[in-house]
Parts: sequence; structure tokens; C-alpha cells
Amino acid sequence: VHQQATASADPLEPQPIAADREGPASPEASGDAAAPLRQTRRARWRWRPSRAALLALVVGLGVTAALTLTSLAVYNRNERRLLNLRVRELNLVLAASAPSIQTPLASASELARATDGNPAKFRAFMVPFVGAGRQFTSVSLWPLGLAHTAPTAVVGTAPVLATLPEGSRRFLALSQHAGVLNVTGLLNIAHPSLGFEFSAPGSSRGYAVYSESPLPANRRSKLESNSAFSDLDYALYLGRSQRRSNLLLTSARSLPFHGRHAADVVRFGAGTLTLVVAPKGSLGGTFFADLPWIIAIVGALVALAAAALTDRLAWRRQRAEQLAVELDSVAAQNRSMYVEQRSISETLQHALLPDTLPELRGLSVSARYVPAPTGGEVGGDWYDVIALDDTSVLLVIGDVSGHGLQAATTMALVRHAALAYVAEDHEPATVLSKLATFVNSSSHDYFATVLCALVEVDAHRLTLASAGHMPPLLLDEGRGVFVECPAGPPIGVPWSSQHRQSSIEVPPNATVVAFTDGLVERRGEVLDVGLARLRDLASRQQLAIEDLLAKLAGELTSEDHHDDTALVGIQWQS
Amino acid sequence: MAELGEPQPARAVFQTRADPDGLPVVAVSGDLDMSNAPALERVVAAAIAERPKRLVFDLGSLRFMDSAGIAVLLGATSKVDAVRLRNPSPAVRRVIELTGLTDILTIET
Repeated sequence: VHQQATASADPLEPQPIAADREGPASPEASGDAAAPLRQTRRARWRWRPSRAALLALVVGLGVTAALTLTSLAVYNRNERRLLNLRVRELNLVLAASAPSIQTPLASASELARATDGNPAKFRAFMVPFVGAGRQFTSVSLWPLGLAHTAPTAVVGTAPVLATLPEGSRRFLALSQHAGVLNVTGLLNIAHPSLGFEFSAPGSSRGYAVYSESPLPANRRSKLESNSAFSDLDYALYLGRSQRRSNLLLTSARSLPFHGRHAADVVRFGAGTLTLVVAPKGSLGGTFFADLPWIIAIVGALVALAAAALTDRLAWRRQRAEQLAVELDSVAAQNRSMYVEQRSISETLQHALLPDTLPELRGLSVSARYVPAPTGGEVGGDWYDVIALDDTSVLLVIGDVSGHGLQAATTMALVRHAALAYVAEDHEPATVLSKLATFVNSSSHDYFATVLCALVEVDAHRLTLASAGHMPPLLLDEGRGVFVECPAGPPIGVPWSSQHRQSSIEVPPNATVVAFTDGLVERRGEVLDVGLARLRDLASRQQLAIEDLLAKLAGELTSEDHHDDTALVGIQWQS
Repeated sequence: MAELGEPQPARAVFQTRADPDGLPVVAVSGDLDMSNAPALERVVAAAIAERPKRLVFDLGSLRFMDSAGIAVLLGATSKVDAVRLRNPSPAVRRVIELTGLTDILTIET
């Protein structure tokens, strides 16, 4: 682009237009620029989770699983510990209920021994304990040591034991364990009961007091809902076995317990019970039961959110990269379009500028046009060098105000009018005056500064007229001066009157450079500084005119200057 | 992209006021060049919309002006009877002299 922007036209060596269109302006280049656009557009709609997001998800879920399992293990251990505590408590409560059964039986046994088995006194003592809603359904007094065992006194219903002689014998044989509460189960019969026996110790002919409490036929017995153990299911077996046939009571619908349960052996008088309990719910509270699931759900959600966030970040980053690629390609497109536009402008400008310059004996002529690099627009600068005869040329250089196609067409109009007046008259002042009259003859909204110079080669004479244009620079043997010439107003200014001209003699090997303001004007700088810069640079050079113009154009027009620039140089050859 | 952008416009301030005699004065300060000359052109068009006899440009704070600025000043000359420049700096005055406009754009001091 840089090369394009500073490309200059040298009419002495007209270049084919195609050469200007090399590089980024070529159609292949703009085609390449469009390709990444299409690619990125396709890629944009194909969503795929990023690798980072998947990693975040896996790590998040892994951590969640570990936390959940840990929490679950802690919960289970805690529940087991609590359950063991509860079964021991219940055990103590059961064991503590034994004396409430033993005490009335023991008292009755002592009474029987003291009264020698008086049935009346026995009945009188036991009546308050027997009956519906009381402790026992049946209490009976059995004298021990007789061959035939039978109760001598009965309170309440007849003891079931009495109908089972072999069973009763076996059970009452246990009464040699005197002084302790003996327990038996009468289980596999129509009305299952639990039997208790007590005989006072230390007497060979004592009495055994025997009582029975009924069991529910289906063994179902709930703990009271307000009891301290209402959060437990239990099963109570006679003996150490947990066989169904030994079951005394349970609160559960089905046995054995599945899931978490704990068993303990209960000492009940001389007998042994087995207590099995299972929690109905969570002993530690529902929150701790739910905690592993809360951790699992929250953890999974957090992992998903983290993955989504990661994916979004990754997507944004990817998007930004795509955008950068798109911007690059758009920039490339813009560049190529810009270059193309420049190329059109330059082509037009070239068409409006002379193709060839005259060749005279004793005089070298060169010209250069530098378009404004930043605008991409056609400028209003122009020049002409017209051979009048073998020894003289008329040089015209001008600058139409404004830019763009309007300025270029105005420039073409003024330029060709000037050419017409040059054909009529060779006096610079006359040419400018006629030009001013012509432009003012119709309505217009432009101005043009024009410098007209008659160059007489053999006479070494320069005749100048200026319509508001910069004076030309005269160079001779390392010295440079701007040629004083009477400055009239620019062409197009109302009332612009007759222009005047002046002539100077020039040294034998003099060089004259005429230029437009783009060469010397810089923003924020006094014009004289620019003129001095030009003069100092030019006067240091010892170059052929063509190289001199190239040097001046190269050094004094830069990337950021905003005006187009035309230079025309003539050099006398001795 | 930088090389594609327009050059930064020069900084200039345009201000229209009226003289004690009611005629418009356009004060131009800062730098006036091709980049902001069209803006001044619009300001001038508004200032002379009522066809005053005279237009004054107060150039006391104008540091720099190029040929595009000259063109705006000249444009006004075709629409009012007289265009005057008040207090131009030496640099601005030099541009006006170089372009042979001292007869057309009257310089007040």
C-alpha cells in the first residue's frame, strides 16, 4: 500500500496502467481476503463444548462424588452409633420393667410360705393385679415338691400352663432356681401368653407363684407414639434366637428387619430375651439424612455451572479470535478496495495529465504528480508544458480548490481553456487574464491558482505571471531563490482583473522548479518554513532534473500529508 | 488499518457574533485546513444568509491556514460586498499575500 500511495507518475516514462494494479489490488488478492470470512461463518454455528469445559465438568463431578460418598459414610457411621445407643437404652428400660412383675409374685410367694399356702389370703393379695387392663390375666399358686403338680389357688382365668402338663412340669422344674423371676413362653397355641414364675428361696416345701400375661395373636404391639422410642421398630424374642417361633412382640409388619438394625440380649429375671431394633427414619435428623443428596445435587449443579461458564469463556475467547480474523480479512478487503479506488483515481488523474512532455535542445523537462496518500481522491492539481517553437516552451501549473471528481473535472476544464489561450497568445499575463475572464463569465464555485511561465531557452529568459500561485524556485550552483513575480488573485475570484507578468534572466545552467502547495504546506506550520525547507533541500542537490524532482517528491511529501502535489522542473543544458 | 483512516481533522473553533453595527463577525481560531474548511464554509453560509453588506473574519487566534481555507474566504467574496480580515497572524497574512489576494480580502489592523 505504501508503494501504491507514493507511486508517482512520470510522463516522460508513461507506465501502463496495469503496472499500477500489481500487489494487493489484484483480483486474486481480494478473492483470498473473502475466503476466511466464509470459513469463520461456517465455524461459528457449529457448537461443541470446549475441552476446558469438559475438564471442569469432570473435575467438578469427581469432587462432588467424593464429598457425597464421604458425607454418606459419616452419616451411616453416625446412624449406626445412634442405633446402638438406642438399643442399649431400650434394653435397660425392658430390664428395668422386670421388678414390676417380680415384686407382686415374690410378695405372694412369701405370703404363701408364711400362711402355708392359704388360698384365701393368696387370692386376697393377688386380686388387685389380675384382670382386664391389669398386669396379669391369671395368677396361680403351686405347691412345690409334690408328685402331681397342680395349682392350689387360681386368680383370674385358669392358667394355660395347667393344660400342658409336660410343659408345666418342665417349666416348674426350673423353680429350683428360687429367688429369681423365671420366664416362659406359651407361644404356639391358640392364646399365646408369657408366663412368669417366682418361688421364695430357702425353703424345701415352698410355693411357686405363677402368672400369665397374654400376647397378641399376631404379636403386633406398637410403642406408644409419645414414647421415647417411637422412632424405632422393634422385635422381641424369647431366648437368644431370632426365630419367628420365638417372637414375643414386634412393632414391624414384616420380619426379619432389612436394612440397618441392631440386636441386644436382655436379661429379664432368670430368662433371656433378644431385642432387635430398626430405625423408622433417620435417628440423626432428616437434614443429615438429606445432606449427601444435597451435596450431590448442589455439587452437580455447581459443576455444570462451572462447565457452562468455562465453555462460555472459551467460546467468547474463540469468538474474539474469530472476530480478529474477520476484522483482519475485512481490513484486507478494505485495503484492496481502497487500493482499487486509488487506482481508479490515479488512472483518471493520469488521463487528465499530459502523456508526454516536449523535448527541446538545450532544455530538460520533467514533471511529477503525487496523489494525496490519505484521501484516495482525485486532486485538482495539474500541469502542462507546451512547446511553442524549437526554442521556447510555455509552462502552466495550477491547483483547483477542493478535491474529488468535481475538482478533477473543473481542473480539466480550466486546463483545456488554458491550453486554448496558450495557442492564441504566448504572453503568460494575457493567458491568465483571458482565463480569469473565461471562468468569471459563468457561474462557478471554485478557484484556481495558476502559474504561467514562458521559457525562452536560448535567451535564458523566464517570464512569469501568477494567479495566486506559489512562486517557482530558481536553483543555480548551490543557491536557491524563489522568483519574485507579481501575484494576482486566483482565477475565479470576482473582479479578478488584468494579470501582470515579469521577466528575469537566468544563469546558463539554471534549474527552475514550479510546484503546487502540497509540496510545502504542512498543517500548523507557517508557509515560509515549508518554502525554506524546499529551498534548502533543493539547493543542496546536484542532480539531473528528473532525479531532483524524484528526490523532492520523495522527501517532502509524506504519508500524512493531505494534499496532492504536482512538480514541474526545467533545466538548461549548456 | 491505521493507514486507511482519514487524517485527524485539524482543531479549529468557529464562532459567529455580531458587530456593534449588527454586521456578522466569524471568529476562526486554531488551524484551518482541508479537513475542517467545509465546516467553516457552512458557518459562513449561515452568517451571510441574510445578505449583510460586509463580512468580517476575526483571525486573531488563527495560527495556520492553507489554500482550502483561502478558498472559503474567497467564497464569501462572491456573496457579500466586502470581506475583511481582522488581525491575521503573519503566517496567515503571508498566505494571503502569496496568493495575490490583498486587494480582494481587505486586512483590518
